[in-house]
Amino acid sequence: MLLHNYLIHSAERFPTKAAVVHKGKTFTYEEIFSGSLSIANWLVDNGLQKGDRVAILMDNPSEYIKAYFGILMAGGVVVALNIQTSVRILNYQLNNCEIFAILTHVKFIKYLSELSDSLPSVKAVAVIGWKAGLIEDPPFRCFDYDEILGSFSGSTHTSPNVAASDIAQIIYTSGTTGQASAVMLSHSNLTSNTDSIIKYLKLTEHDRAMAVLPFFYSYGNSVLLTHIAAGGTLAIRQEFLYPNEIIEEMIKEEVTGFSGVPSTFTILLNRSAIRHYKFPNLRYITQAGGAMSPKLINELKSILPHVDIYIMYGQTEASARLSYLEPEELFRKSGSIGKAIPGVTLEVLNPEGYPVKPGEVGEIVARGENIMAGYWKEPERTAQVLRKEGLWTGDMARIDEEGFIYIVSRKSDIIKSGAHRISPKEIEEIILEYSAVHEAAVVGVEDEILGEAIKACVVLKHGFSCTKRELLSHCHKNLPLYKVPQHIEFREELPKTSSGKIRKIDLKQT
Amino acid sequence: MHEKIRKFIFENFLFDAENSALDNNDSFLEKGIIDSTGILEVINWMEETFGFEVDDMELIPENLDSVNRLADFIKRKAVTTPQ
Repeated sequence: MLLHNYLIHSAERFPTKAAVVHKGKTFTYEEIFSGSLSIANWLVDNGLQKGDRVAILMDNPSEYIKAYFGILMAGGVVVALNIQTSVRILNYQLNNCEIFAILTHVKFIKYLSELSDSLPSVKAVAVIGWKAGLIEDPPFRCFDYDEILGSFSGSTHTSPNVAASDIAQIIYTSGTTGQASAVMLSHSNLTSNTDSIIKYLKLTEHDRAMAVLPFFYSYGNSVLLTHIAAGGTLAIRQEFLYPNEIIEEMIKEEVTGFSGVPSTFTILLNRSAIRHYKFPNLRYITQAGGAMSPKLINELKSILPHVDIYIMYGQTEASARLSYLEPEELFRKSGSIGKAIPGVTLEVLNPEGYPVKPGEVGEIVARGENIMAGYWKEPERTAQVLRKEGLWTGDMARIDEEGFIYIVSRKSDIIKSGAHRISPKEIEEIILEYSAVHEAAVVGVEDEILGEAIKACVVLKHGFSCTKRELLSHCHKNLPLYKVPQHIEFREELPKTSSGKIRKIDLKQT
Repeated sequence: MHEKIRKFIFENFLFDAENSALDNNDSFLEKGIIDSTGILEVINWMEETFGFEVDDMELIPENLDSVNRLADFIKRKAVTTPQ
């Protein structure tokens, strides 16, 4: 099964049905399919070869979906990028992936203008809102996105020779190194995971999800794929700034499903009027992206007693999903991430690769068709996590007598803040570039809303001075907003082990 | 009032950006200046600075989504909040 066949099949079955509702506009399956076809034809016309990478940098969800499936239909590989970005990050990602073409919006053109001379692999760029002269003497061909949709429509799509084992998508995810790693997912990785999620959430064409999570992350991507595959409808509001508007739209659109990360639910429970509304159509809620406190889960269940709450766990490396807790077990197995989803095997193993006894702590290791092909251009890192036992997730857990898994901690020091995974190393590197800084260590500290907030502990060079504001301003210039530390602490020195390693655990506690 | 709001927005979200980076009518949402947790910071700041409570039902763009809207909202709240 190829990933784009989900859209093709749903467009055949439900051509006039709403696939997407966004800002009062409805896009039918036929419209989305037709847009994808135009993009596929445009890419092929510009010389795309099977396996070429195409970047999407867009915050317009209907066009994002057309671009996503269009790239796949042309035989390309989707590289969907975080729109909260910087010139530095984009320069790395676009060159690391040797991007062939970019689909974007005029609001992101400032980045491409700055980078236009440093993207040798890029051959074509399609821009929503393009006007000649926006990029001075571009070394690649620039197109008006809307013209592409018009001029390449109606053409017949000839399927390239793509196999289910071919790479369909590359997702950048925070690694332990400063630069993000790129997870390669094949068509069969993504389709097997999508089919499994549809099965346990019992999704059908009658389901209508409120999609608030960005599609460029793996969790949001799975919400997108499952609903397109099932022939359902996505009501999309990815800017989660005014939750009351989202609640009202959920009711208006008769939404049956809602997916969020812990901070989504914290905001809904603490800073919205959710208690004043009734949700007669809402059938289920899913929560992933880090542990949510039992207190919040209880509150959510008391407000929405008729709604099934699915606690889930996964990783980008697993195409999204690895486990879920049956809604009926929510209170009996409070704090558990449940058991493996259909088609996946999960074990908790000791470092020698043997299963731990119930109650003992080991590492979660996963096997299944959904496990990634590897990290792009990183064979050594791939070999570290993809071993004969399966994917070593880096998540430490215990398993109870009945096989329910409980996460205890993570091996790496990745910060989970809101929906984001943030590498402390990347922020440390930026802080260290500031001339007055001698040493820096970045950690995640508990935060009521975000789950974790970013704290930077900084030692200045002898005789130098610098204010928090100056350092924050430097971070802001070089990092997207969500990576700018919430707390800065100046210290005389950083706590270290006898071997000189920074004791981050001490910094988290102070 | 507008200057006070601008000062807060620049100090917390725009840092060293030029004054022209934000018009008083610019939508925080459309411009991508503030994210979902940032808006909570704005609300906390308003509550602490001006001594009123923002009701959950008042958390709508009409009240919050630009410097001008915030200024109008704060003025309205100040009138209706007993001192």
